Amino acid sequence: MIETFFHNGTLATPAAFLASLLIGIAFGMALENAGFGSSRRLSGIFYFRDMAVLKVMFTAVVVAMLGVCYAKAFGWITIDNVYFLHTLYAAQIVGGLIFGAGFVMSGWCPGTGAVGLASGKVDALVFLLGAAGGSMLYNEVYPILGSITTADRGVVFAYNSLGISEASLAFFLTLIAVGCFWGSEYIEKKGQGTGEQWGTPFLKTFSAVLIAGAFGLFAVADQDMGSTSAFSKGTQETKLLEGTQAGLDHIEPQELADRLLSGDTSIILVDIRTPMEFTQFHIRSAINIPVVDLAVSLASHKNQGLIVLYSNGMTHPAQAHDSLFRLGFRNVYFLTDGLKGFLETCLKPVSLRPEPVSHALASKINAWRAFFLSPSIRADDQATNKNLSTAFDLSLLTIPGLVETDWLNTNLGKPGLKIIDLRAQPEYNSGHIPGSLSLNLESLRGLVRGLPSSLLPAVMLAEHFSLMGVRPNDFVVLVCTDKLQDATLVGMACERLQHSRYGILRGGFPKWQAEKRPLDTILPSVEPSQYPVPDRSDTFTVTSREVLTAIDKRGTIILDVRPADNFTGKKHDEARGGHIPGAINRPFSEDVVKTDTYNAFKPIDELQKIYGNIIPTKETQVIVHCRTGHQASQTYFILVRLLGYTEIKWYDAGWTEWAAKPELPVE
Amino acid sequence: MNPYYAGILLGLVLLLSYLILGTGLGASSGIARLGAYVELLIAPTRTLASKYFGNWGQQPLKYYLVFMLAGVFFGGLISALLSNRCNIRVERGIKCSPKKRLMFALAGGILVGFASRLANGCTSGQALSGSAVLVTGSLLFLICVFAGGYSTAWFVRRQWDD
Repeated sequence: MIETFFHNGTLATPAAFLASLLIGIAFGMALENAGFGSSRRLSGIFYFRDMAVLKVMFTAVVVAMLGVCYAKAFGWITIDNVYFLHTLYAAQIVGGLIFGAGFVMSGWCPGTGAVGLASGKVDALVFLLGAAGGSMLYNEVYPILGSITTADRGVVFAYNSLGISEASLAFFLTLIAVGCFWGSEYIEKKGQGTGEQWGTPFLKTFSAVLIAGAFGLFAVADQDMGSTSAFSKGTQETKLLEGTQAGLDHIEPQELADRLLSGDTSIILVDIRTPMEFTQFHIRSAINIPVVDLAVSLASHKNQGLIVLYSNGMTHPAQAHDSLFRLGFRNVYFLTDGLKGFLETCLKPVSLRPEPVSHALASKINAWRAFFLSPSIRADDQATNKNLSTAFDLSLLTIPGLVETDWLNTNLGKPGLKIIDLRAQPEYNSGHIPGSLSLNLESLRGLVRGLPSSLLPAVMLAEHFSLMGVRPNDFVVLVCTDKLQDATLVGMACERLQHSRYGILRGGFPKWQAEKRPLDTILPSVEPSQYPVPDRSDTFTVTSREVLTAIDKRGTIILDVRPADNFTGKKHDEARGGHIPGAINRPFSEDVVKTDTYNAFKPIDELQKIYGNIIPTKETQVIVHCRTGHQASQTYFILVRLLGYTEIKWYDAGWTEWAAKPELPVE
Repeated sequence: MNPYYAGILLGLVLLLSYLILGTGLGASSGIARLGAYVELLIAPTRTLASKYFGNWGQQPLKYYLVFMLAGVFFGGLISALLSNRCNIRVERGIKCSPKKRLMFALAGGILVGFASRLANGCTSGQALSGSAVLVTGSLLFLICVFAGGYSTAWFVRRQWDD
């Protein structure tokens, strides 16, 4: 198969520009040689004086048509590595009529006008200026043209519109073209005494070759289609049918619910019902796109992420899936049993179910119900019911991870973005990132089971998030000053709530300020949400008991991130100095680099190297701790979110607890 | 040149475009983008905010069809120079004044420019390229161009009177 520029998505590269220039040169030479550098000749067809336009154009159409048909039959190109113009009936009919009038008035069309200009025709220059003006005029009136410009039918092939095979239509058009050639010669002969080719061996041979070529299409096309069905278009259809048979085209409601609940950002959920039905109820995070607009609206998500279509049932989404598949989309799925199935399977209360429900499923159903049915969320969701272009794009970010000031600046004010400023309140009051909320980090910590400065339990963190108006699908950006561990500690709160949509602003407020980005002093309005409490406790927090067993376990690394003096015991404010037996010291401050204006984590590859020397593999069991869990949150974030370690635990209580419990061993 | 030979040549160029670029030929887009470029020079914010030209961003000329249009011009120039068909004049019927002919060229140009945007293509992009791959809308466009042309021809015939 030929990999076209269009197929590779490289039409906007210099190589494609060069290829276009060369093809354009060949195009211009062909037009000039056809005599189309002359408006008198071009307009001749409309007065039956000179039929050259018809002859050249129909010859070109038939030659290219047969060429493309054979190229498809031989598998050189497929329907999805070629760009096809969309059909908009009204626009093309009205446009065609106006165009024809303009064509005969001026004697030029855009391509021939450029050739006419090259041939020195002043009328061609005037025509081109007019055409540029006409385009500007179109731009001016475009907003009031309304549905004529938007009633897009997508790619429609005439053989499908007519309900005949491609080969039959090609054969039929070839016959029409040959008929037109003979008719043109006859008209010219009778009218002007020209028509030089009437009855010549050349025209006879040429006609015969074209008809034979078109007839040959039946043979190659049949070969290709014979194995499947009459409607099949070769390998693509076979793939589509294989996908259907293997069930690759749909997604189960439980899987969709779980993925949405976990904040999976790769899913683009599309409701194809009417806007009214959509307003009444829709699955959270869904966007509403009418079926006819799917191809255009989803173009930027073609083969990126996971497009899930749903309607009340399954028929329309399945049809839309097949249509998008034919347009080259390979990432479209539809919801098994539609919205009805989703309500039945995921959202029906446990109490109303006839069958016995296991404890595990019951808690899942409750979590789904909390997530999908919470009224405040639904109201908000409608407010954020964005069209795709105004929603912010997380696809370029790794989350949880770092967010650049540039990204934040472009996405300020977009729905679903929550910025949390962790600086002291007086500083916040004197100027903050527009729309940001002020949070005192210490409000997320407290006395838990006798251990001071512990990160609060999930139920309390959820309450805090609710008061801040954070919803599970929001993208939270954490902003700190030079103490990066402030942001990572709030990151731990997000982790505990299983809120994976968060990022830390790289360089924090100092970088934002140094770049002279917008600031304001207004308090944003917040509408409290109902942040759901995860149904299980987090898996990364460990207690002193687990640390104690880890001491004797070979292969688990205890990483003490306090300053070296505390580690050695030279300095201590606690009951005892020193460290947990076998612990390795890697002060958190060594992961940070200071620039003139702000602090940032060291470059990833540098950190990768440093930790590669301390921790043997990405799957090695590691426990990080410091005095209160604050500094260790930074090491946790680096290891898990920036470097991809998978088995990192966080001993939140840290040295505060360890030193104060005499029964725990100290080195 | 025998028009059928020219047609074969044109058909092969179109086929080559589909096989290499993966798209058909086009000319009106290039002209419209030149228009957008000029507007951007004069009133950048207004143009960027406009609903149609605004989609093309700040650099409307970085588009393959603009390069193709440049190629058409140079290809036409090379061919016209080689065959000695290049001379500066206003093409018209002898009885028609140059001014009248240029007025027709301008008015026709405006209609063509407008209609090409409305139909999303001209004789190259729609009538030729779209018809060759049997797109319904392109074939309709082709039919309508002839319908529009023949129904207007009588009214503008004087410009070709000798």
